[in-house]
Amino acid sequence: MGKTMRKIMPLTGRGCILAAVFIALSAGAERQAPPEGGKPKDFILPAKEDFELANGLRATLVSYGQVPKAMVGLMVRTGNLNEPENEVWLANVAARFMREGTVGRSAKEIAAAAARMGGGVNSGAGSDTSGINGDVLSEFAPEFIRLVADIAQNPLFPETELGRLKNDQLRTLSIQLSQPETLALAKFRKTIYGDHPYGRLLSTAETIKGFTMDKIRSYYEANFGAVRSHLYVVGRFDAKAVKRAIRDAFGGWKRGPAPAILPAKTDTRRSVAVVDRPGSQQSTLYVGLPVVDPSHTDSLALEVVNFLLGGGSFLSRITANIRENKGYTYSPYSTISTRYRDAYWVQVASVGNTVTAPALKEILYEIDRLREEPPADKELKDIQNFMSGTFVMTNSSRAGILNILSNQDLHGLGPDYLSTYVQKIHALTPKDIQRAAREYLKPDKMIIVVVGEKKEIADSLKGFGPVVE
Amino acid sequence: MRQRTAWIVVAVLALSLAGCSRTAISFRVPVEYYQLKNGLKVVLSPDDTAPIVAVAVYYNIGFRIEPRNRTGFAHLFEHMMFQGSGNLEKGAFFRLIQGQGGVFNGSTRFDFTNYYEILPAHKLETALWAEADRMKSLDISPDNLKNQQGVVVNEVKVNVLDQPYGGFPWLDMPQVANENWYNAHNFYGDIQDLEAATPEEVMDFFKSYYTPNNAVLAIMGDFAPGEALALVKKYFESVDPFPRPEFPDISEPRQDKERTFSKDDPLANRPALALAYHVPERLSPEYFAMGLLDQILLKGQDSLLYQALVKKEGLTGAVSGGINLLGSMFNYQGPMLWTVSLFFDDIASSGRIISVVDSVIDEVRTNPVSREDLDTALVKMRSGLFDTMGSGFGRADLMACMALFDDNPFAVNELEQRFKAVTPELILKTAQEYLRPSNRTVLTIRPKKAAQ
Repeated sequence: MGKTMRKIMPLTGRGCILAAVFIALSAGAERQAPPEGGKPKDFILPAKEDFELANGLRATLVSYGQVPKAMVGLMVRTGNLNEPENEVWLANVAARFMREGTVGRSAKEIAAAAARMGGGVNSGAGSDTSGINGDVLSEFAPEFIRLVADIAQNPLFPETELGRLKNDQLRTLSIQLSQPETLALAKFRKTIYGDHPYGRLLSTAETIKGFTMDKIRSYYEANFGAVRSHLYVVGRFDAKAVKRAIRDAFGGWKRGPAPAILPAKTDTRRSVAVVDRPGSQQSTLYVGLPVVDPSHTDSLALEVVNFLLGGGSFLSRITANIRENKGYTYSPYSTISTRYRDAYWVQVASVGNTVTAPALKEILYEIDRLREEPPADKELKDIQNFMSGTFVMTNSSRAGILNILSNQDLHGLGPDYLSTYVQKIHALTPKDIQRAAREYLKPDKMIIVVVGEKKEIADSLKGFGPVVE
Repeated sequence: MRQRTAWIVVAVLALSLAGCSRTAISFRVPVEYYQLKNGLKVVLSPDDTAPIVAVAVYYNIGFRIEPRNRTGFAHLFEHMMFQGSGNLEKGAFFRLIQGQGGVFNGSTRFDFTNYYEILPAHKLETALWAEADRMKSLDISPDNLKNQQGVVVNEVKVNVLDQPYGGFPWLDMPQVANENWYNAHNFYGDIQDLEAATPEEVMDFFKSYYTPNNAVLAIMGDFAPGEALALVKKYFESVDPFPRPEFPDISEPRQDKERTFSKDDPLANRPALALAYHVPERLSPEYFAMGLLDQILLKGQDSLLYQALVKKEGLTGAVSGGINLLGSMFNYQGPMLWTVSLFFDDIASSGRIISVVDSVIDEVRTNPVSREDLDTALVKMRSGLFDTMGSGFGRADLMACMALFDDNPFAVNELEQRFKAVTPELILKTAQEYLRPSNRTVLTIRPKKAAQ
């Protein structure tokens, strides 16, 4: 049902209980109870080995799985947060530019070398971090680490490629501006963060056209270095050879600066913004507000709140309501989106024009309902089981392990975060969940953004809060 | 019960490469294959990497052969399989699976519809019970159908009708590149067809195609095969089979003239272009050559089309595509396309893009690829195959399709060899026949708005 599965016509279903059974193949017969299954098996997190080089670069190795491949990811603490004002997407163009050649290798040689190892090199930037990564056959892990190290330390930034990469960004921007989800997210972020870098989701054509070699090189020089970097290797590999490659290839990197800390200050007030998208057949809804970040003690209770309301399963109340009961929408979901010492919760849904206000009403109703009464024990138990089950699955793939570890490191969650996660989730009570909903999902702070056909929907949204531009 | 077993333990073969201390590692998976008396094919592949298990049921009915007056019906029907069965009222299935720590999904493809769960290993029996229950007894109401018609209409809107480039090229291209209705209709469904479906049609479809002799059950993960097989028999042997309808003729005539189409997209800001070629018959030697041509031409930043269109000419930022855009080159059975697609800036440069593609393709149709380039293509293919075979769901999908279409799931361990057998001469011959301009369809998306 996830957005990522868009093209394979995912399906699905669940919902409310209807009394009228139309085609009763088993009419009259009592329903059989499902079998319980066997005894639970232990899940042990794959062991990891951490070390640090003299220049401050950290490394984490995790031996995992039977597939003869290794995933290598270098995470660097720099991203859109570190861009000078009015240089939005400079971090993205710089990260993309890095694989266009190093002092010793052309872009074509980099691509060919990675391909011969059974992978490719990717590089990109997000709000807080930039990454250079790839997934290769096990026997090439040390060689690939050397390639990543070369790209991180010795990028050539050939000027001949500047025009093309800027043009690619202009195209990307133009396409993103035609997507309703992007427009809604950009407005939502702007409303929460204002002028803080986290509020600048999209660049402008003028900004992109103004990128120069100087700006790109200065950004790279000011922000990349060993102290800000963490290399992860996950999968099957020769640990000795991998460690040697890390020491050899990264040992000489300059220390560079410590991570820049620029926390966002957020204090929202209830508002409704309608972004006009003439001709829309659906309205894209973003409903949410800033919440505590993953380092806060209440963050796990808030995660449960998220799963209970809209996060990722058909157990979620909002999904059951507006999809399985009402049929208003296909893929509603909620999520807690995090950055360093920052987070927001948001419910997203694309609904038919005529049911825009009814869908919004149901979403707000479900939030209020959880604030007003604790969930039933059985409902909470189901959610806790779902969360621990998906936790095991996340920790059962190279990419999942790499993501969860780098997330833990970024947010500074402590060495026992993963090993106690399941236990802590199960320890939460219905009252804890209600309390977290009351504390963090306050209606007077809720931001509502709707992208759609303004002339058809604007009037119906007037009762939902002060309308803002 | 028919039984065939091949137990190939995961083998790590250290082969030394000439002049190099590195070792090439091979990866094979265990496969056990059975068939119950009612015709249900069962494939088991244990793997104790993590305490989870994937259960997948594949039915030999895809959107290709759905009823002619009901486009999108196979997919709408898939939604109905989650709306209730004999012992699971509406909503009970998802609580049963997700409430015990599992995930599930289903999907409708060209030639099959699948339903799967990935869950904690000790819940294998629960999942088998649930899949057997809905194979035996669909139990839905008119309200359930109405609800899911609403959901699916919203799905088509959010993925296609209300999105820039909606349906490009995965839904659009088959409709213009194929001639046979089965391959060329709108398989997501026209809204009026989706809304016209009745509960009686849903039950008829169930009674036509959802029979054990038209299905495969694949289990992959942390389980003991003997115990799993006993559970499979316990729950599935009692499902009665019935004859399924004859397969219609889904063949496509050989294309001998290039076809060109364009589509106006009022929501798009930039033009887009896709080219599609009919590919060789699945599992033929030429098909494996085509898989390697896909690697050489299109996959990765080292590929010839990326190097020419992105790196050298700067006409686009990425090229994407492959064989079967709704899955992989392995999970279909019938006529299929190899598609290349990209976004660009100015509709006037579409001719330039096509001429660059032509020059790249002319090269592989004129000269045999070098041994080195072929080896790189093989490494890329092998690396991808290992991932598919290593992940719970990827392996289940591969094995289920090979059991469903070819009655031979053991072939998952032979794929690597089939690719290795491809010679530069076979690549050349395959390119000459299948990458002919006259075997091609070109589709251009024209934005209405001025480029921003």
